[in-house]
Amino acid sequence: MKDRKTTHFGYQEVPVEEKAGRVAEVFHSVASRYDVMNDLMSGGIHRLWKRFTIELSGARPGQQILDIAGGTGDLTARFSRIVGASGQVVLADINASMLEVGRDRLIDRGIAGNVVPVQADAQHLPFPDNTFDCITIAFGLRNVTDKDLALRDMLRVLKAGGRLLVLEFSKPQSRLLEKIYDQYSFRLLPLMGKLVANDADSYRYLAESIRRHPNQETLKQMMVEAGFVECEFHNMTGGIVALHRGIKP
Amino acid sequence: MSDPTFRAGFDLALETAINTALQYDPATRARLQPLDGRTLALDLTAPQIQCYLCLAGDRVYVRQQEDGGVTTRIGGSAISLVRLLKDPDATPAALGVSISGSSTLLAELQEILRDLDIDWEAPLAQLVGDIPAHTIGTVLRGASSWLSANLNRAPAAAAETISEEWQLTPPQAQFEAFVEDLAELSLATERLEARVHLLQAQFARREAE
Repeated sequence: MKDRKTTHFGYQEVPVEEKAGRVAEVFHSVASRYDVMNDLMSGGIHRLWKRFTIELSGARPGQQILDIAGGTGDLTARFSRIVGASGQVVLADINASMLEVGRDRLIDRGIAGNVVPVQADAQHLPFPDNTFDCITIAFGLRNVTDKDLALRDMLRVLKAGGRLLVLEFSKPQSRLLEKIYDQYSFRLLPLMGKLVANDADSYRYLAESIRRHPNQETLKQMMVEAGFVECEFHNMTGGIVALHRGIKP
Repeated sequence: MSDPTFRAGFDLALETAINTALQYDPATRARLQPLDGRTLALDLTAPQIQCYLCLAGDRVYVRQQEDGGVTTRIGGSAISLVRLLKDPDATPAALGVSISGSSTLLAELQEILRDLDIDWEAPLAQLVGDIPAHTIGTVLRGASSWLSANLNRAPAAAAETISEEWQLTPPQAQFEAFVEDLAELSLATERLEARVHLLQAQFARREAE
């Protein structure tokens, strides 16, 4: 038992094989209220973060896009409009509940035809090598058990010259903002989770998992080590969120 | 605006404003469709902002990054660019506006913007009803045309008041007559000077003989 490999689940250490299941429970629990909570927690700013992500993706009509951890399909909807009928967007999520909510929501908005929902694990993507022009993973990487493995697999399925964009919570750049953000994350966020989604624990996990996620420079280095080139990041909202971009050589 | 969040917010607000306005002018939307896929880059110098207006179908997208080709790039102050797009007599050189790439897109956009006719009553009617919206629209149109007529007349009226009423400057006719007299005096002086030089030369020759 002593040699059993562990990983973090928020502030807890759990056996590696358990993390995916625990994360899945969180997202099963929040799936139906995910969008409402996103708007509430970020004050709607998550739409601006995603807008900037789309811009940096450089997506064009006819391209193949993979939206990993696509959840309720925010990015997929926008990519679907950009790539048009000649392109394709794969909405991938490991969590069936999130994928179902995303797929239904897209169909309700009339977005279909060039969108394919796929239940997939970011560490073992079920696609051939060199398939996609662009891969995005928004607020998903911190939930992946082995991030290095996931980054390497993303590199594998990207075409040469393709882009990976990682939008994720990160480390605020000012001490004052960090303190305010801590108070917000650990006091207000679980309270909002309790009131709106009747699930304080999932939102406590959200705050903890953000603190355990690699900071800007570390994630950039991880991307370099996975094989990406021209890696860079853009801090947004004072570093609360960072957008990393790397290119497959 | 170094944080991309603020810039994304600005772009979103501008994009929403443009497309909401276009929603109430179907003719302009129809004229934008043939320009699908073209991109206009704006390099504003005052305020210093760079943005891209991408035309897609009958919508306009505002972006801060554009990896694809730019059809036309124009640079200058925001006021100059607005004047260039709206004023048929304005020329880029006179306004200090630089243009690179295809000038066709710019010419087409100028034409579209000059004919822009947004039906503001439609969104207002959705809020307050048809009759109040029409009444408000009529009052606003009247006020707008009064303001526009007065603004056009303002420079001439101000000049008249300063010279005729306050007599701070001479009236234009008097000033023009004065300028003519001055020019005539100047010519007469030059002629006199030439005559004096001629006489001086004649006297000098006689003294030498």
